[in-house]
Amino acid sequence: MVAKFANWLDERVSWRQVWDAIFLRKVPKVNWFYTLGSATLFVAVNQAVTGILLTLYYVPTPDHAYDSVQYITTQVPAGWLIRGLHHWGVSAMVVLVVLHMLRVIFYGAYKYPREVTWFSGIILLLVVIGFGFTGYLLPWDQKAYWATTVGTRIAGTPPLIGDYLLRILRGGEDLSAVTLARFFGTHVWVLPATLMLLLGIHLYLVIRIGISAVPKKED
Amino acid sequence: MKEKDEISRRDFMKVATWSIGGLIGLGWGIPAIAYVASPAWKSEQAQVWIRLGATSKVELGVPTLFKVKVKRQTGWIVNEEELSVYVLTEDGRNYIAMSNVCTHLGCRVRWIAEQDRFFCPCHNGVFDQQGNVVSGPPPRPLNQYQVKVEDGQLFILGG
Repeated sequence: MVAKFANWLDERVSWRQVWDAIFLRKVPKVNWFYTLGSATLFVAVNQAVTGILLTLYYVPTPDHAYDSVQYITTQVPAGWLIRGLHHWGVSAMVVLVVLHMLRVIFYGAYKYPREVTWFSGIILLLVVIGFGFTGYLLPWDQKAYWATTVGTRIAGTPPLIGDYLLRILRGGEDLSAVTLARFFGTHVWVLPATLMLLLGIHLYLVIRIGISAVPKKED
Repeated sequence: MKEKDEISRRDFMKVATWSIGGLIGLGWGIPAIAYVASPAWKSEQAQVWIRLGATSKVELGVPTLFKVKVKRQTGWIVNEEELSVYVLTEDGRNYIAMSNVCTHLGCRVRWIAEQDRFFCPCHNGVFDQQGNVVSGPPPRPLNQYQVKVEDGQLFILGG
């Protein structure tokens, strides 16, 4: 039954070709360090799923943000789990992308012909850090408020443009409802859109070019 | 040499991958369903006796409107809301308290004394003074609250 439907669909959309290109592609003999990218992807999916779920209850305004987060954590069934996965997931994410990057550096995998994969990866790293920075404010508790006060103040330190940067980040002089709203919008719209675009390019290139082998001594 | 009933390494990996993947999927899926669908079985309002006012305010044979403020918990917000209840008595001893929520699709009905009827503005539902459907789309009479009278004061059970 399932096989019959799979064939029916394949005859029309050739999904097997796509499937084989992704999962049955030839790879060199590699080691466990080569799984760090997939591990990152797995956690990214976790962040997307739990993040979408959190928006069903979370309200990004100063009078509701904290209470809605408390409501999720203490009242909604499995809310503590969904929030916990999202909260701890981001730490795992940062650790994994950094390890993934170190593997690429140490094995020289950023070299020709994989420069574009590498640069898309660098921007993806910045996107992940952006996710962490904007998401940190959303619970709107003391830690979030003061961490963002400090973080935006650091962004305000460069000469000439610093003051403008700070006001763009905060949406004004001080941390306010405007800050919370733009951090939320960036966290759930701007960064996910950027991430999907870059991740698409990144994965396309990984599959199109193939992964690099472990370099030998004479390389 | 491979025996017939021996499973190949490839098939084993296939089954293992799909099983672990399935378990992880369930690990997300079941909490996600509980998280999203829980309002379906979680009731936020406790049923309490709400004081409407003195029985002496109720006119004989005419639905009399009582408006009371009640505290309602919705999500993380506690709000004061106005509850409108029509009370009817024929003999000054037995009272019925009717909700002003139309049984069709939840609009608020109003008692029009000149026509001796409740009217719903949304889809022309009409009820008589007992709350029975006279015409229009409502499927059943107006909902009634449980009533009690203590020291000349009317109470309804609601939330």
